[in-house]
Amino acid sequence: MLRFILQRALYALPLIFVIIVVMFTLLHLIPGDPVQSLVGDYPVPPAYRAVIEEKYRLNDPFVVQVGNYVVAVLHGDFGFSYQNQRPVLDLILERAPRTILLASVGFAFAIPLGMAIGVVAGTTRNPGTDKFWTTSALIAYAIPTFWLGQLLVMLFALRFGWFPTQGIGPLISRAHGFDWLLEKARYLALPVLAFAIHEGMRFARIMRASVIDTLSQGYIVTARAKGLSRGQIIRNHILRNSSLPLVTIAGYSFGSALGGAVLLETVFTWPGLGLLMVDSIRLRDNLTVIGVVIFSALAVIVMNLIVDILYALLDPRIRTAG
Amino acid sequence: MLLASALSAYALGASAEEGQPVDGGTVIAALNSTTIPTLNTQLTSSVPALFAADVWADGLMTYDRDGKRLPRLATSWETSPDGKTYAFTLREGVKWSDGQPFTAEDVVFTLNSFGKFNTYLTKLMPLIEEASAPDAKTFVLKLKQPLTATLDLFDKEVFPLMPKHIYDGQDVATHPANIAPVGLGPFKFESWQSGQSITFVRNENYWEEGKPHLDSVIFALIPNPQQRLNAIIGGEVNWFRPEVAQVRASQDAAESGKFKVVQIVNNAPETSVVDLNLTREPFKNVKVRQALFHAIDRERIVQDVYMGLGATAKNAIPTQFKNLHDTSVNYDTLYAYDPEKAGKLLDEAGYPLKDGKRFTIELTVIAKAPYDAVAQVVQSQWSAIGIDVKLSTLDQQIWTNKVYTERNFDASVISLTGRTNPVLGVDRSFVCNEGSVPYANPTGYCNPEFDKVALDASAAPLAEQKEHYRKYAEIIARDLNQLQLTNSQVYEAVTTNLQNLDAQFNFSFNTHPNWAEAWLPADQQ
Repeated sequence: MLRFILQRALYALPLIFVIIVVMFTLLHLIPGDPVQSLVGDYPVPPAYRAVIEEKYRLNDPFVVQVGNYVVAVLHGDFGFSYQNQRPVLDLILERAPRTILLASVGFAFAIPLGMAIGVVAGTTRNPGTDKFWTTSALIAYAIPTFWLGQLLVMLFALRFGWFPTQGIGPLISRAHGFDWLLEKARYLALPVLAFAIHEGMRFARIMRASVIDTLSQGYIVTARAKGLSRGQIIRNHILRNSSLPLVTIAGYSFGSALGGAVLLETVFTWPGLGLLMVDSIRLRDNLTVIGVVIFSALAVIVMNLIVDILYALLDPRIRTAG
Repeated sequence: MLLASALSAYALGASAEEGQPVDGGTVIAALNSTTIPTLNTQLTSSVPALFAADVWADGLMTYDRDGKRLPRLATSWETSPDGKTYAFTLREGVKWSDGQPFTAEDVVFTLNSFGKFNTYLTKLMPLIEEASAPDAKTFVLKLKQPLTATLDLFDKEVFPLMPKHIYDGQDVATHPANIAPVGLGPFKFESWQSGQSITFVRNENYWEEGKPHLDSVIFALIPNPQQRLNAIIGGEVNWFRPEVAQVRASQDAAESGKFKVVQIVNNAPETSVVDLNLTREPFKNVKVRQALFHAIDRERIVQDVYMGLGATAKNAIPTQFKNLHDTSVNYDTLYAYDPEKAGKLLDEAGYPLKDGKRFTIELTVIAKAPYDAVAQVVQSQWSAIGIDVKLSTLDQQIWTNKVYTERNFDASVISLTGRTNPVLGVDRSFVCNEGSVPYANPTGYCNPEFDKVALDASAAPLAEQKEHYRKYAEIIARDLNQLQLTNSQVYEAVTTNLQNLDAQFNFSFNTHPNWAEAWLPADQQ
């Protein structure tokens, strides 16, 4: 197992190198002027341009910039964000936990939700029930998250006033201990709901297909013949066997969610990696953009590794073969 | 007029009800970005930084509601008869937010160290002969030649004062104090929660007796306009500035009584324009430019895009500059909406209709409200007279590069702010710009006659300036390198528990609240 993990880590190195080169090239090709975005929509005084370009070495030849960056990254230095006036790594380490929190809690709701709907739709004998859930899931999945987010805000925050409209926490708070946790949870509720509905519906569709596939397997027929009840069959045979494709999809999408749910973070003013990415592209804060992309890539690699390990745990055949 | 009287009626009613200010409480104001690269407004003209500067920075002077100058840290100022020497007498006993004394040395230092980095001072800096501090409370500026706008350049928004003892001898452009500033404003910088909020607390050293009333002002960083409106409806913030397209929705939401939408009566000009590339066909021909202007129904843009919250632009000098705007040049009559006449002009210019089409152009714009909507109206109206208009809606940086750096455009829509004097935000659209400086005349229009008029206008004594600016407006109305479409109004949304709104919005040009005046009733802190 350890060898397996090390092997994966070694694969990651050339990947990151490629990401750096590709991102540098792309960002180099897009027109943009970081100094202009510092000044706003008034002309940049030449003296100011000179100072900033010199300080952040914006005029170094392209190859020198890439070379310096690769060497720095090998030393654990991901550069300096001139739009945030701090090291990129600091910035990512500060923003990532916010995104991880949103994604983890979102998945914690999305997976059971998707599994429940998938199992109900897949095992029902009533075609009407199946149609209802399949169609609802498809419609819910098709709603763009930014619109869904706005709807949730309008309903639960503005109309009922149950939750705050946006943000990751109160700007003024006197709460401590459990109250503090509860307060935080209120800010988390709507983004998580939007996230869970969207991702959950995707999982529901995969789960349903997988359940139907499992139902046609010989061991289900055997189980039925043994006289097991419907509930027992679902619990003991279908759930576990149908979960494998879900684990794959959930693993991938969790990995990419760690790169920041850009639209969701914008709609709920959740200052995680997604918002950081949007701002950095807009302001041409290139080193921050590359830093976030590297983080996202690492997140996907790590999640794939975890998926492989989960596979082995879920399916004894893979375990023994490995 | 109706609105103005309604506002003053409100102001009277409010002062009768409000009573004595009480200290304490926190106000949360929404800013429109999660990333703010610098708070130092000597170095940036970005909107969030300017709003934040209201609480921590101060300057020599500002403006009252009628556009008259109000003393801040300069108690008085004198101009020599030749218009070349300005002497400012500074307020005594003033301290920086860190307790160090404020002296004329700080003013000299700010000008000498930051002037070359300040986008508004590019016209002034080459004219300076010497800036000096003969004593601790006198600041003297000597110019090589007169510049009548000089006093406007020392407005607190354009020229916030910076502490010498913090910056001296260091790299001021990238100094850490630019994101953790020390200033002369009513509040002082406390902390910055990255991507979330910036907190300012009462500045105990503030020079105005008994102010500020609030304990702290927190800026919430909310990049999405709809979320800013949601936040004030949900009671999470006390102040935000609605975007033009949001004002009506904000007014509707304000009927709940939780907040009100206030118009800034004498706002800085905000003019939507079309720049035309005069180095290209068919714009080389002035008749084409006139035709294009006649073909735009500007009132329709005011109604549809700005929802009636604005007016058509009258000439190159925005109407807000009451002492400089001459009503004899009026686009509403000179270039009244007249598609037929536009068609005739194009026929005369050698662009007759052929298969329902005259020529093809590209109209480029930033993918952002309200610019994109303005461009869409212009596109449809130009199409109506047989011009094939391809709309390219671009990311702001790509648009800037295309229009200003590469000048690879036909026509371009943008909205420009004018600040307090034509020298600051109006000249840049017309004065010859041979380099590739962004947000300055990209049209290739270089008219020595006009440049001289602009220079003379900026140097003329106050009483004679209007005449110069009439000539200025006449030349632009004739040459039309840029079509000025609309002049929009500015609104702010404030929760009703915030008191003393009248004093708070008692200023001109900068549309920014005076947070030193605001207070909250004791039961709502």
